[in-house]
Amino acid sequence: MSTIESIIIPKKELPSNFVKAGWGLVAVGVVLVIISYATDTHRALFNNLIGFAFLASVAVGALFFIALEYIAGAVWSTPFRRVTEFLASLLPLAIILAIPLLMNMHELFHWSHSDAVAADPILKHKEPYLNEQFFLIRFVVVLGAWLLFFYLFRRNSIKQDVDKDQKHTKNNITLSAIFIPFFAISVSLFAIDWLMSLEPHWFSTIFGIYYFTGTAICALAVTTFLVVSLSEKGYFFKGVNENHYYSFGALLFGLLSFWAYIAFSQFMLIWYANLPEENFWFIARWENGWEYISIAMVLLHFWVPYFMLLSRPSKMNVGNLKRSSLLLVFVHFLDLYWLVMPTYSKAPVFSYFELAFPLLTIGLILVVFSLQAKKYNMVPVGDPKLQRGIDFHL
Amino acid sequence: MSATVIDYSKEIPVVEGVPTAASLDAAISKPIDEFPHRNWFIGLAITGTMLLIGAISLGWLLWKGVGIWGINQPVAWGFDVVNFVFWVGIGHAGTLISAILFLLRQKWRTGIARFAEAMTLFAVLCAVQFVLFHTGRPWIAAVWLLPYPNQHGVWVNFTSPLMWDVFAVSTYFTVSAVFWYVGLIPDFATLRDRATTKIKKLVYSILSLGWRFSNRHWQHYERAYLIMAGFATPLVLSVHTIVSFDFAVSVLPGWHTTIFPPYFVAGAIFSGFAMVQNVLIITRKAFHFEHLITMDTIEKMNKIMLVTGMMVGYAYSMEFFTAWYSGNQTELFVFVNRAFGPYWWAYWIMFACNVFSPQLFWFKKIRRSLLASFILSIFVNIGMWFERFVIVVTSLHRDFLPSSWGMFVPTVWDFGLLIGSFGLFFTLVLLFIKFLPAIAMSEIKAVVPGAQPTHHGNGAHHG
Amino acid sequence: MDKKLYAVTALFKTPNDIIAAAKAVRDAGYTKFDVHTPYPVHGMDRAMGLKETKLGFVTLAAGILGAVGMISFASWVASVDYPQVIGGKPYWSWPAFVPVTYEIAVLSAVLLTVGAMITFFLKFPNNSHPLHDTRYMKAVSSDTFGIAIQADDSKFNEQEVNAFLKKLGGDVEPIYYTEEFLNFKPQMFEPKFILLLVGVALVAAGGGYFTWNKLLFMPPFDWMMEQPRVNAQSKSEFFADGFGMRPPVEGTVARGFIPYPYKATDRADSVGALLANPFLPTKKVLELGKQKYFTFCSPCHGNFGNGDSRLQGQFPNPPTLHSDKVRQWPDGAIFHVITVGQNVMPSYQYQITREERWAIVHYVRTLQRALNAKESDLQ
Repeated sequence: MSTIESIIIPKKELPSNFVKAGWGLVAVGVVLVIISYATDTHRALFNNLIGFAFLASVAVGALFFIALEYIAGAVWSTPFRRVTEFLASLLPLAIILAIPLLMNMHELFHWSHSDAVAADPILKHKEPYLNEQFFLIRFVVVLGAWLLFFYLFRRNSIKQDVDKDQKHTKNNITLSAIFIPFFAISVSLFAIDWLMSLEPHWFSTIFGIYYFTGTAICALAVTTFLVVSLSEKGYFFKGVNENHYYSFGALLFGLLSFWAYIAFSQFMLIWYANLPEENFWFIARWENGWEYISIAMVLLHFWVPYFMLLSRPSKMNVGNLKRSSLLLVFVHFLDLYWLVMPTYSKAPVFSYFELAFPLLTIGLILVVFSLQAKKYNMVPVGDPKLQRGIDFHL
Repeated sequence: MSATVIDYSKEIPVVEGVPTAASLDAAISKPIDEFPHRNWFIGLAITGTMLLIGAISLGWLLWKGVGIWGINQPVAWGFDVVNFVFWVGIGHAGTLISAILFLLRQKWRTGIARFAEAMTLFAVLCAVQFVLFHTGRPWIAAVWLLPYPNQHGVWVNFTSPLMWDVFAVSTYFTVSAVFWYVGLIPDFATLRDRATTKIKKLVYSILSLGWRFSNRHWQHYERAYLIMAGFATPLVLSVHTIVSFDFAVSVLPGWHTTIFPPYFVAGAIFSGFAMVQNVLIITRKAFHFEHLITMDTIEKMNKIMLVTGMMVGYAYSMEFFTAWYSGNQTELFVFVNRAFGPYWWAYWIMFACNVFSPQLFWFKKIRRSLLASFILSIFVNIGMWFERFVIVVTSLHRDFLPSSWGMFVPTVWDFGLLIGSFGLFFTLVLLFIKFLPAIAMSEIKAVVPGAQPTHHGNGAHHG
Repeated sequence: MDKKLYAVTALFKTPNDIIAAAKAVRDAGYTKFDVHTPYPVHGMDRAMGLKETKLGFVTLAAGILGAVGMISFASWVASVDYPQVIGGKPYWSWPAFVPVTYEIAVLSAVLLTVGAMITFFLKFPNNSHPLHDTRYMKAVSSDTFGIAIQADDSKFNEQEVNAFLKKLGGDVEPIYYTEEFLNFKPQMFEPKFILLLVGVALVAAGGGYFTWNKLLFMPPFDWMMEQPRVNAQSKSEFFADGFGMRPPVEGTVARGFIPYPYKATDRADSVGALLANPFLPTKKVLELGKQKYFTFCSPCHGNFGNGDSRLQGQFPNPPTLHSDKVRQWPDGAIFHVITVGQNVMPSYQYQITREERWAIVHYVRTLQRALNAKESDLQ
């Protein structure tokens, strides 16, 4: 057991290729976004929605993991908690990405066309909920609250770096206890508003949970990738080893299995009852080429990462963890594409439009991370659980 | 002992004090070796009477048929299915405590894992009674439900959720039993080596299979335990999910909703924990295990109940919102009917017990009060029973066609079997705590302070 | 009795001690040794230099086998053996097979893992190992940690090992084989045991069959081939006379049968007064009557009812139907004669139905009128 000060590396300049890659992706992304909007605004908006949902996933998912660590009293994640805090700071950027969407709701949402609503009794029935004003209010409340929680969590954590007072941990635990129930409701509403209402006739009570699980996997995958890549290069503290990595692999494994369970439940129940009011949503995703995307989802979102992370050693292997994390991030994009784009077009489309926002958002993640790492410690040096986290072994 | 200020840099001890391994053996074996206290016999008398009521109800059922129950059209599923789901749900807590908390490395589970697993087995046994005997001709059902080669010319219908239930519940029972037994092997060996009579020695020798505490064996054993825990975890999810599929694959409003699988699982854990909490509070007091099952454990159980209770509340809100959002008239009617129709009282009992009462666990004083924990756990069990009642009965009694609407009135035989199931469950629990070690001896010895080497020899970050 | 040495053992009090001891024994080059602890001690596997357990491979294989087996079976049942349209879905509906496939995969993985662990990896049950019933075993099953270096290790030397373990700080004691163990044979394949298994199987099967099929005759041991029913043309102990086939009860009539109460000895004209023709002479009735007349009556009575068939003049010389007697008979009398017969003419009750007989009566009336036509008929 060595003294903590001698082994932790609170702050260190990020590798230059990391930062360069970030800015490069942002640059390419921005250019592609501008071209997309100039060429076909409608298609660009749908891709913008995917980008927004992705970035919000990463940010609020990271926030969820921060809260989860506090409320569960977990120690294995403590040394790496700053990574999730940095990721959660993407929330304001996500909000910015939403602005073009809010200004063009008519292009995205069928229920925002008053003539369509007047002609359709079902849409008229939903109008008290699905109307532009209430939608905007919900957006402001949900994202605003998430921002507030982020700010409070972060403030306590940073303060603790300096004064090492355990009361900050206690406060964050209380904050987590309030945040998590609120998060459950708010992330569900977020998913319903932005993703489920694209098909306003369709509904599924499990949809909020479905989006939540995808969010959790994505945020954890990004975190895992960063933790593993950076510790390889000597960040965080001396002696990061497979014991520390294992829990990331195990949690990813558990979450992707849970995702498969939720996705299958949603599909099977609608398939089994075969009610026309529900099944059209899945039928659309099994025609005109969408069936290949659906199959790809099953394989890449479940089967492949499942076997990649099944064995005990695989969860501790650095290379395997990096590959699995990247796959899971990619497949979250695929998931959002599969959720969103069938509303845009009958058959899947792929071109620079679909690359613009993924490149941009990945770039933003790297850039924001590097800026945050310059400003703050990468290890929560004042956290009382830090020593236990560093000493953690299976 | 109440910790006013927690030091987050220290692990919360699993047991109080530093009991020696030998004292743990003695404390846990004591109830097995000694003649039972009078209270045990009183308890057995009560549960035995309940069991007798159940046996009489069962006998009458087998003689006369399911017509003695209150089921009829339109409510063809009554107490039978409600009780089945209720007991299967309770069984899930045991596996969660035993397997999932093991995977999450929560050491505080050690004091309660053994009898929680036992409770799983007993609860599943109770559940199987209902699902078997509600078939009308259980002697046929017991055999024909299994896909064995026969002269019928037809196989079972693998696409039916009722058949999925057969597979799921049988698998769950088998795996839980195997998991429980494997966990008991080292304890049987310890009991064998402590045995004073020849009979005891023979029985424990056979049950322990000759376990020698060899580390070469521990290596395989631990891996097997981890594998079983790894399988038991998704199994818990899958079993109650499949039970929820019984309802969700239908087209009935109030039943056909995609959130049923995780909602049922959360509810199962919720009710199961409440039952475990009730049993553990009594056992702890009766056997003086206060230093082995600390207030910290009880508090954590309450926290989990709060969390799962809120998950159930989330599911209620999501169902209700989507019922409105969907614009489906019959769906919305079902929910309005649940709250304000003829069974409104069942709905509000459910709501009060499941959503409101666990909220008291936000307060630390209540979380750390034995009496409050005990009472609130009972409320939760009542609430969860009523939840299944509300789901099954209200959706059936008024569905699409008003001319088909009807009421369900349980008969004395419905109640007889319900009482009998509690009798069966608690009789088995009482027998278990008398004849088998209620706490896993080898596991608890491993988590007392000083049990593990200070120089961690797996050489992780040392040489 | 010469005692054969099994191993030299040493007991230690703390986990740190046993870890150190294990490392020392491993480093000293011993391979046939074992550590005994009341619970698994962290880091012991590494200290002993053990390789990772291979149990996981069994699990993987069993799980895959179970899953593949189950989905194949369910698919075969649904699409090959007895395809049925269930819920309007195609014969092979994979989403519906997922739950059972999953459960069987888990079941087979767990059972085979535990089974393999107990039989192959641990080689249990084994209650006659030399370490059983020793002070050493009692200690390690409770609160002490022990190490045992076996005598059949290549580097084993009793004095050396004794001294070595004492130096490590252990409480040393030798363990000897028991006679039982020396004569130990794997019980699984002993002939007596196998005979016992066979015996148990026979008794259980036979007893079960006897109870369920003979005594109780309860499902599912009541195969449909063997039903407690009376088969055609077989004996039956249910009836006193042993006959399975029973004659119909007194007064039984065939379906649609209307009993004819008049006998052959009753005079035709008196019966005729009691009967009335229930049918009107419609075209349909007359055509039916004509058809039946030609089939049944014309061979004797001739095509025109004159008795001018090929039997005319021969025995039995059928009478003409145009005689005054017949012409004056009521319809019922003709009906009665057809029904019960007369003289040589047999009863046609069972060949010609009631309706057909009345139709024939109408036709005969037609013939009679035709052969005695009046001027007024032409109008």
